[in-house]
Order: sequence, then structure tokens, then C-alpha cells
Amino acid sequence: MSLKSKAMGLRVWALAILVVVGAGFLVAAEEGPIKLGAVLPLADITGAQGSKAMQLAVDEINAAGGVLGRQLELIIVDDESKAEKGAAAIDKLATVDNVDVFIGGMSSGVHLGELPALKKYERVTVWIGAASSLVEQAVVGLDWYFHIHPWDYLQGASYVEGWAALQAEYPLIEIQKAFWAYEEGAFGTSSYQGSLVAFSNWENVGESFKSALLGGGDYRAVLRHAQEFDPDLFIWVGYAADALPIMEQAAEIGFAPPLFVGSPPGWPADFGTSPLADGVIAYGMWAPSIKDVSPVSQHFWDAYIAKYNEQPATYFAPLGYTNIYVVAEAIARAGTLDKAALITALEATNYASPLGETLTFTPSNLIDHQGFRNQKILQWQNGAQQVLWPFEYATALPAYPFTGP
Amino acid sequence: MTLFRTLRRWQLLLLLASLGVPIVLMLWKPYVLIEGLQRGGLYAVIALPMALILGVVGIINLAHGEFMMLGAYFAYWMGVYAGLDPLVAMIPAVVAFALLGAITYVLTIRRALKAPELNQLLLTFGMAMVGAEFANLMWTSQPLKPHLSYVYSSMALGELRFGTYAFIYTAAAIVLLVLLHLFLRKTRLGRAALAVGQNPRGARLVGIDVNRTYLLIFSVSIALVGALGAMFLTRHSVFPSAGSPFTMKSFCLIAMAGIGNLPGVVWGGFGLGIAEALVSSFRGYGGWADVVFFAVLVAVIMGKSYRRQTA
Repeated sequence: MSLKSKAMGLRVWALAILVVVGAGFLVAAEEGPIKLGAVLPLADITGAQGSKAMQLAVDEINAAGGVLGRQLELIIVDDESKAEKGAAAIDKLATVDNVDVFIGGMSSGVHLGELPALKKYERVTVWIGAASSLVEQAVVGLDWYFHIHPWDYLQGASYVEGWAALQAEYPLIEIQKAFWAYEEGAFGTSSYQGSLVAFSNWENVGESFKSALLGGGDYRAVLRHAQEFDPDLFIWVGYAADALPIMEQAAEIGFAPPLFVGSPPGWPADFGTSPLADGVIAYGMWAPSIKDVSPVSQHFWDAYIAKYNEQPATYFAPLGYTNIYVVAEAIARAGTLDKAALITALEATNYASPLGETLTFTPSNLIDHQGFRNQKILQWQNGAQQVLWPFEYATALPAYPFTGP
Repeated sequence: MTLFRTLRRWQLLLLLASLGVPIVLMLWKPYVLIEGLQRGGLYAVIALPMALILGVVGIINLAHGEFMMLGAYFAYWMGVYAGLDPLVAMIPAVVAFALLGAITYVLTIRRALKAPELNQLLLTFGMAMVGAEFANLMWTSQPLKPHLSYVYSSMALGELRFGTYAFIYTAAAIVLLVLLHLFLRKTRLGRAALAVGQNPRGARLVGIDVNRTYLLIFSVSIALVGALGAMFLTRHSVFPSAGSPFTMKSFCLIAMAGIGNLPGVVWGGFGLGIAEALVSSFRGYGGWADVVFFAVLVAVIMGKSYRRQTA
């Protein structure tokens, strides 16, 4: 055999080996885990428990054989509640971890910082955070974007519906005058302004206060003004740090309106253990008592406690759990990770969630893929949060009027 | 000579205002006076330890609020694990934070005493960041607060019902002022501290151990603010950034009163607390309380500057 033909033969063998090895890598990649990239604020209870609930769901699915014969891998990056960290997290998940789907989220402000990065990669995104309609405006036309959390205006609409339903169902509850105490920042002010429009049939008076989160913590002036107004419903819009002090100071001056409502983004984990919590009404997507009327919720509750030896204390826990199952079931329906097929499969979502409702994706004001639309009206009774409305998930009758300690 | 003859005009005006304003408020809006004194007491008692460090050691401790925050966490966890009420937890807090203050001084402050003031500010600012991030990592940003039924105790005078517990801050400010006055004026260590604060070189020449004095004062100040964190926890939630607004307010009070003027810090605290409560008593003007706080501060500083120029 000539030298030339020997060299040719070697080249052919080398090429064949390369093809086989390359094919092997491709096969390995195909058979490797399906990667879900989550961005959450891990120092906050929403992110801490949301991420645990996600991992719980991933472990359950993997124990049952995974999806499409592959295991799920959950990669979580902490956004530290900062927009620039959230954006960096998206970049890292996309380029270093090469995730298949983006999930997670909490803060609207952080998410606005993440959106440019998400738009760069255009991977299927199923987001459980961000209530601000500013985010909705920024994701118009993105067919790969699925939003689970109700937008702010949807929440407001559900409160209007809820209070009307409660007054109709329980004629003793009558609301004509409402006093709104709102933290003086963007969150409180915009909530108050939106509520004035939504509840225009009430006589509304509002006053701002400085939240403890921003160096305040003395609410007595606002509470005295509310007391002078003598409302049927008093509602404070602030943060978790305000919750117990505002109740203490209301008790101090003897202020006990018939309906005492709190509307922070989250409550202190042990708020319900205080006697001052009894009768306080809250808005939320979930309460532990839902497990009494929902087998899915009961399973989630039991499984979470068994795995982590702590109770879920924020609705971001069942929301995180929902996030994983929605994505996993959609991948299973699609039979592939192909983007178009996955989008179609997500659009067909019909998932009975531990929050009580069945999750489907329908159009909102501006986007095509909106999940949950309602909040619930809850009330602390004897240390536990009960659901008052929607009535299909109600776990207790309203305790009315609020009497204070 | 009568009192009125010995006083300068501005001092007379201040005295009349100090007597007249409370009387007017008691008749017009009594809860403003009550809640103003309570609020002002909180500002004053938190500011006093910072004033002590600034007056003697000559350093602005920008981590002042963070030490208070850590004291509040200390008291919270003492309640969870040892069942201690926060007010009782003040006692171990004094010991723990005296030790923390001593360690902090030896490892950091001592090495920056001869550095430019900017470096000193950056050092304590860095300490503040470390303190806040440490708390965030250990306990997350979730606010914590024990339920204490006595904090919403109240009494009624006619139609006026007001809280009584918060007078603890008013009382604490007065008691701490008296104790610090006695310490600084009547004890050997206190007089040494005053001497060091006025002239460290001169104090060294007469045989005072300046470094040991600094160590003592810094440790005492941190011990006090750590214990005050426990008291703070009784009426406020604690979270990693709970202390930082009080660093600013304390510094402003000290700037208003003048370095070394501990009674001025207390009176200034009461005055600002009443001013804030008065502004907040008008519905819709609560947001102006901070403006009033800093406007009064600026006015007092400018007034002092004018008097120095004309003197």
C-alpha cells in the first residue's frame, strides 16, 4: 500500500472516530437532565420557601421516573432582591448552565431588570413573580412568556368582587366608609390610588405613613385620624415589619373598626401566633387551611413538612411547587423540549394546584398567557388563617366585627 | 441677680418656649405632647451612646444603628432559646456587647485613630455593611418581633386614651443622661475620659492611658446601644436594615446639640419628637414630619453658626 493511500486511510479512520465521539456527546446531552433555571430572592422567605417547594416538586417527579425518561435538574440563582443580580442570574443560567426553561421570580422591580436578558435568549419562561402591570406592558407579544401570579389590577378586581360577595352573603357586613393607611412609598401610594378607583362606591379617606422598613414605625397619628373618621373598614398597606407594631398601637389607642384589614406583600411568619392577629383580615393567594378543602394542597402541606421539618408560611411555597409541575407536565405533553411544541403544551395547561384553583393560561389585558387571576380574602381566627372568599375554597365563616384584644 | 437677668435673650426665649409649648399642647392636643415625648425619648436614648463615642474618641460611628439592630436580634433569640423577656435580656446584652465593642475597638478602631477622618468614616461604614449583611445571611430579611402584651398597655384620661409603655424610652433617656453625667463628672475614669476627649495629647502628658480610655468608652457605648436594641425590640420589628435610620437621626441630634453636649442631645430629641408628633397630628401632613426634623436641625445649626459669628 502506498504512503498516500495509507494517509488517506488514517484520515478516514480519524473522521469516523470524530463522528462517533461527537454523536456520543449529542446522545449524552439528549439523555442528560432537563434543566430548569430558577431566579429567586433566597434571603427572603418567599424565595427561601419557594425554592424549597420547587426542589420538593423536582424530587417527587424524579422519584416517579422524571419527564420523557430524563431527570429534572433545578438550578437556583439568588437575585438578592436586586435587579442587576437578577439580570446576571439569567445570563449565568443561559450561558453557563444552559437551562431549558426559566422559572421563578418574586419582585416586580427585579423582574423589570431581568427582562432584557430574558428577551435576549427567548427561552420559554414560566414566571411566578411580578404583580406590577408595568411588567405586563414590557412582555407584550412575547409568545414564550407565561405569567402565573395575578397582575395588580386583577388582584384589585378580585378584591372588589370579594367584598361585594361577602356583603351580599353576610348582610351584617356593610361597608360604606373605608380608611386607607398606606406606606408613603411607590407600593403604598399606587395601591391606594388604584383602590380609590376600584372602590369608588365607598366613601374613602386615605393617609400615608412611614413604614418601619424605611425608618418609621409610629402609626399612632394615622390610627387616631382613622379613629376620628370611624370607618366600616380600615386597611393598611405596608410591609411585614409594620404588621405587629400597627396592631399593638391600634390596641394602645383603643382603635377597633368592624373590619381590620392588612395588605402587605407578606406577613411575619409568626404573626398568627399573636392574640392581636385574631380577626385581622388579609389578602393572599393561599392559606394553610386550604388543605382542608383541597387534597392537592393537603399532599403539598404534608410533603413539605416531612421534607423540611417546617411549615410553609408564604404562598410562594405552593406557587413554587406549582411552577415546577406546570412546566414538567407541559414538557411531558409536548414530548419534546422544542420551543414551539412546549409553548403549545403550556397553553393547554390544566393543573389542579395546591393554592386551591386549577391553573390555566388565558389572555389578560395585554398578554396571551396569564395564569391565576384572583386573590383570596383571608382572616386569622384562633391562630390560623381561614379563607372567607372565594366561597368555593372557604374554610370558615367571617368573624365579625373585629374587636381587638 | 434674678434668673431673667442672668439669661441671654435667646436663652430666655428658649426657656419660655420649653414651658409654654407643652402647656399649649396639653390644652390643645395632649396626645401630641405625650407621643412626642415618647418618640423623642427613643431618639434621645439611642443617640446618647453615639454622642459618648464622638465626644471622647472623636469618631463618628456609622455602625451605631447596626449594633442596635444586632442587640435587638440578640434579645429576640434570647427570648426564643432562653425564654427571656427583651427587657431582661438587656442584662446579658450589656455583657455581650461590651465584649463585642472591645473586640471591635482592638481589631479596627484603634488602628484608624490616627487615620484621616474620611478613612475613619469608611471604616465604620464598612462595619455597618458587614453587620447588616451578616444579619441578612443569618436571619434573612424577614422581620421578627416577639408578642408582648405589656407594650400596648394604656390609660384613659377622659376621652383621651394613650399608651403608657412607650414612656420607657423617655425615662431611659433621662436615666441614661443622669448616669452618664455622674460617670463623667464624678468618677475618676469618667473625668479621665472627659480629659481625653478635650485634649488627648494633654491627657497623655498627665499620665492618662488614652488608649485604655478609648477602649473603655467604646466598649461602654456599644454595650449601651446593644442593650437599647433589646428595648427597641419591644415595640419594633427587627430586620437587617432596622438600625440604619437611627444612625442618621442620632448623628443629626448630636450635630444639633453640639459635640459633647449630652443634655442637648436629650432636649433636642424631645423637641424633635414633639415637632414630628405635632406635624403628624394634622391629617395628610405626616409625610412632612421628616422635613420638619431636618428643617429644625438646619435651623439650629445655622442659628449656632450665626451666634458664633456675631459673638
